Amino acid sequence: MKQKPRVAVFDFADCEGCELEIADLEEELLDLIDIVDIVSFRELMKEHADAYDIAIIEGSIMRPMDEQRLVRIRSKAKILVALGTCAAIGGVNKIRNQWMPDDVMREVYGDADLKGNELFNVFRTKALNEVVPVDYYIHGCPIDRDDFKRVITALALGKKPEIIRYPVCVECKKNENVCQFELGRFCLGPITRAGCKAICPTHNSPCDGCRGLVKKAEADCVKEVLERYKLTYEDIRRRCTMYNYGREECHVDEEE
Amino acid sequence: MKQTIQLISKKDLLTFVNALINEGTYDVVGVKARRERFGFDTLNNAGELRLDHDVTIIPPKKYFLPQYEPLMKYSLEKPFQVQGIKDEKPRIIIGMHPYDIIALEQTDLFYLDSQQDTFYKKRRENTIIIGADIQKISERSFAASMKTNVTTTGFDILLTKIGTNYAVTIGSEKGAKLLQKYATTKNATAADIKKIKDTRDNVAKKYKRKVKLDKKDWPASLADNYNHALWEERSDVCMECSSCTMVCPTCYCYDVRDESALNLKDGQRIRTWDGCMLKDFTRIGSGEIFRENVKERYRHRFYRKGNYLPQRYGFVACVGCGRCGIACLPDIADPCDVFNELASFGKSDDTARYFIKKQSEVADKGEIHVPRSATIKRIQKMTDTETLYEIELDDKKPLGHKPGQFIELSIFGIGEAPLGVSSPPSKSPSFELVVRQVGNVTSKLSVMNVGDKVGIRGPFGNGFDVQMLNGKNILFTSGGLGLVPMRSLIKYVLDPQNRKKYKNIIILYGATRPNKVMFLDEIEEWKKIDNVECQLTVDKCDEGQCWTGCIGLITTLFPKINMKKFDAKNTIVVVIGPPVMYKFVIKCLQTMGIPDENIVVSLERRMKCGVGKCGHCQINGIYTCKEGPVFIYKDIENLPEAFE
Amino acid sequence: MSMKKNDVSIHVDHVTRVEGHGNIVLNVKNGRIEQLQWQVVEAPRFFEAMLRGQHYNELRQITSRICGICSIGHSLASLKATEDALVVKITEQTSILRRLAIHAENMQSHILHIGYLAAPDLFGVGSVIPLVGTKHTGTVLTIVRLHRLANAMSDLLCGRTVHPIRLVVGGFSVVPTEMELVNLRKQLEESKVLTQQLAEVIHGVADRLPDFTRGTEYIGLSSEDEYALYDGVITSTDTGKHLAYRNYKEIMQEYIVPHSTAKFVKHARESYMVGALARFNINADKLHPAAKEVARMFGLRPVNCNPFMNTIAQLVEFTHSLDDSIYWIDRLLERGIKEEKPVKASVKAGRGVGIVEVPRGILVHEYTLNSKGYCTKANCIIPTNQNHANIQHDMEKLVPEILGKSEKEIELVLEMLVRAYDPCISCSTHYLDVTFR
Repeated sequence: MKQKPRVAVFDFADCEGCELEIADLEEELLDLIDIVDIVSFRELMKEHADAYDIAIIEGSIMRPMDEQRLVRIRSKAKILVALGTCAAIGGVNKIRNQWMPDDVMREVYGDADLKGNELFNVFRTKALNEVVPVDYYIHGCPIDRDDFKRVITALALGKKPEIIRYPVCVECKKNENVCQFELGRFCLGPITRAGCKAICPTHNSPCDGCRGLVKKAEADCVKEVLERYKLTYEDIRRRCTMYNYGREECHVDEEE
Repeated sequence: MKQTIQLISKKDLLTFVNALINEGTYDVVGVKARRERFGFDTLNNAGELRLDHDVTIIPPKKYFLPQYEPLMKYSLEKPFQVQGIKDEKPRIIIGMHPYDIIALEQTDLFYLDSQQDTFYKKRRENTIIIGADIQKISERSFAASMKTNVTTTGFDILLTKIGTNYAVTIGSEKGAKLLQKYATTKNATAADIKKIKDTRDNVAKKYKRKVKLDKKDWPASLADNYNHALWEERSDVCMECSSCTMVCPTCYCYDVRDESALNLKDGQRIRTWDGCMLKDFTRIGSGEIFRENVKERYRHRFYRKGNYLPQRYGFVACVGCGRCGIACLPDIADPCDVFNELASFGKSDDTARYFIKKQSEVADKGEIHVPRSATIKRIQKMTDTETLYEIELDDKKPLGHKPGQFIELSIFGIGEAPLGVSSPPSKSPSFELVVRQVGNVTSKLSVMNVGDKVGIRGPFGNGFDVQMLNGKNILFTSGGLGLVPMRSLIKYVLDPQNRKKYKNIIILYGATRPNKVMFLDEIEEWKKIDNVECQLTVDKCDEGQCWTGCIGLITTLFPKINMKKFDAKNTIVVVIGPPVMYKFVIKCLQTMGIPDENIVVSLERRMKCGVGKCGHCQINGIYTCKEGPVFIYKDIENLPEAFE
Repeated sequence: MSMKKNDVSIHVDHVTRVEGHGNIVLNVKNGRIEQLQWQVVEAPRFFEAMLRGQHYNELRQITSRICGICSIGHSLASLKATEDALVVKITEQTSILRRLAIHAENMQSHILHIGYLAAPDLFGVGSVIPLVGTKHTGTVLTIVRLHRLANAMSDLLCGRTVHPIRLVVGGFSVVPTEMELVNLRKQLEESKVLTQQLAEVIHGVADRLPDFTRGTEYIGLSSEDEYALYDGVITSTDTGKHLAYRNYKEIMQEYIVPHSTAKFVKHARESYMVGALARFNINADKLHPAAKEVARMFGLRPVNCNPFMNTIAQLVEFTHSLDDSIYWIDRLLERGIKEEKPVKASVKAGRGVGIVEVPRGILVHEYTLNSKGYCTKANCIIPTNQNHANIQHDMEKLVPEILGKSEKEIELVLEMLVRAYDPCISCSTHYLDVTFR
């Protein structure tokens, strides 16, 4: 009987929503623990083991102490999976990268003497792949449970999960949604990675790009559409940077 | 059958629809409001029906080729048990406009050819179509100038609103029976029938959008403008979102995936809509992508609708519904705009490009989706990356393939891979495949053992036309993995039963390195046969490797051929190798005086369904899996996408 | 770990089965407590910094990401604050649907906490996973079923449980259909018996909850008409009602602590507690009968000062939310549910405060918007922030009482104490009080 892969779940600066989505597998969680050995999952379990094959990590990196912890995890895991947008591309955690860390720290903690306190030693937010190599990504804020299952079953079956490069529009049209543009809203779906079954437009809300943009927001085609709707890039800049701030700075995505 | 026309009041029509809904055995769907637009959906009561709609968001093709459709269930614990999918309830669709009815008739030719898609077939047979004449015109539709705003065929019943009543045109026996059982109608008078014509004419006059180029001229116009700047100009702002193909009633390309449950026991092989506008549409296992530039994909869509399919079937595959015009955000997808622009470029008489003459129809081999169970009988490592597998079908029947054909190898949970058959046709139930590890399926295969089960679909493809080799010299030129499919033809030709049909034979084989050379022992045997010569070469010989043959590209072997023995007009040259090889080899052959109609090649594309339906293997207007993968060079020398 | 009986050294790095990262440090030498700290080590994420310059239509999406478990609560507090600033009056249908959304979140969060996070301690195991395959399998399946139902409810109302979609300024982007509400009501009704069963099982092991009390101030919302969750007046068990909701800072006073990236909060005493127990202590008389019965079964009466009973108060609230949800669904079905477009806001400068009760306690969002509708200043007071100081002080009273136990037992009791609060630590380290230049 082949040994089940040992899986450990870790989190950094996050909201734990992606881990909650895993817990929300409900009965299927029992299937999951049948096919893999969850040796560490701090949110749900007291038990912890230091030896694992697959590390699933949620959250971004904010401080040197977090960086060190991540490097330690990478050295032990054969496969490292970035769980959710914060881990994959930085997500909302990167919005503050527009301002220098000192600036923000002073604003938040005022004059409190926190120098040398490693808890407060914050640098610009980094996605996981800016610190260590990442093997697979499960995008989304939060992740889509079916997408998670797809990647995990692929890993358990010993195959590389398909990397989706096509935009949300494909899934939105298959759902026969009324296009958000027809309702007067600028939707980021055409330039955002699919895999979520176009959940936001399906609930009558324009896509905000949480799964990562697959086209630059400054691309010619986007400009063309903006012009047609009498908008400028400035009008959508904030939404394009909600989850995707500074993408040019990151290591290039897995498919390139 | 002669159409009779009835008249029904609005009230009685609602009663009729409610009767159908309440009758219980049908899934009754019709056009309903969908937020600010319209869409086909299950009707809960007749009041929801909106025959006054302009156009639905997506066409009713979803009822014949669903967005996500399970094809079969599998069990990872029990390869090779496959379960079918339960049949759906029969369906009645109410409110289909003429252009969608026409599109469906076009789709029939595609899905119900000699290699029928049984899922589509069953749905077609189990569906009753109650069409509706257009009342309100969609602002982007140009159906009138495409003559698709009215139809006389393709429906079981057709409803036309005339005043406060509806004219009911009966289109089939099924339709007649349905009306008889559930509806209260009376015969239409001559005045009523005239009103039908008047209504249609009045609606037709209201079309604001018109295409200036008559659709019969579309193929010619496209044929002359393949390299026109307009394709690049317009596609410059394409979002590559494939919304245009998703909403199109005549688009039906699909992808097939295996979805396994978390328990790693159960799974489904599903089919889902795919779009030729997406960058990864043509991606093959090695990662190569064809039509990589968005301009090429954008152009391909118009050529398919306006040139390739017309040449294949005789009709233009656009029905002017205008959905793509609505869906396209940068507004470049609308054929009305494109062909209006092309109209200004003038006509041409040349229509014979981008397509090859129609091959004879492939015989119906029955089930096209479900693989047959087979067992790995022997595994032999050929090189560090290539392995030979001997596979035997579990029903012990021979594969029945021709040299040059391929099969689709299934490993449930992982997927399918197209592989060329390497052994010659034989009465034995086993055949050979040589596999290089590139993707998921081939990687999984590399860790399987003798006795393990796989699935086989096929054989597919046209294979080599062995008749054309009769009485000729044959020059086999294989590069790298090209020897794998080549071997099936070589062994067929060299079989003592067949050998006398052909004259002199040379086999040229080039590999990258000595440790990549395969079948050395067989080649030695071939050399011993009368009038058979074998020449091998490797690109380079690294230190430590042992090689006594030639060193250099395969083209360096051509000067060694004695052209007196191989007079060019009577020599057939078969060339198979990596894409980069063809250009150079064919140039050499032409210099040697080999006529283009004597050169045979085998091309690789993303072969997925194997039966010319999923659309992934298209090279311009041909399907590599149906008209190929073997081609006569003369037939494809003008095919722009063949050797990209 | 030391050998002498009077020496204790406990360092729990990243307490398990709580949301977020917190450490417990206890050093005792010769029977004297040298160091006792509840350390909040979660990385700060600077949410208020992120909100500056954002448009009022985007504030909800961003603040939702403060927490995955109470994302509906953050969304609602955010929307209330924005609507307060722009003077947007929501319809009655919207307010009913939002009440249902809060119930769904409360149920989901409480059952997660009771079942997955707290109960394992009562069963003497490290997580629910070892319970599967034993005689307790039925209980695990019950927990899973109830959790799934609560998620299905928030999926229906909000489009998605984690980071809801349908909640927008002025209302909902889509409302449920009548058929969907009828279906939901049926499932809620069918779950009553499962809830009762769960209560009985927990009752069977409730004796393992430590018997500990400490006089504490409790703060939460209260209302004349109902057990206050969505709307209400800030109320303290010490000082009564505070009607001026915009002056919440008079009650919630924060200060920085070096061993915590989250600020601590106090009011009338050196700390106070928020959450299910606090709400119970303030609103117990407004509970539905079945919930009152569960409270009675566990001997839970206001004002109860045992923080370990917070988990039981959550069970009581779960039972109440189940019944109250059915009540409000019936009201909606009576009125007839309608597709309503969200109430449009006329953009103007303003300051708004939104206060709701989320599973872990009272939550405040405050925004200042400029005349174009962009946020210039933001402040959020998270329930768990308000609890951190109380955890510290509870520990300071508790530890001397349990020093006689073994180190392992002390460690477990301290962990159970932290878990009882059901802290949401990453929420609490978003950061507060930012002034913008």
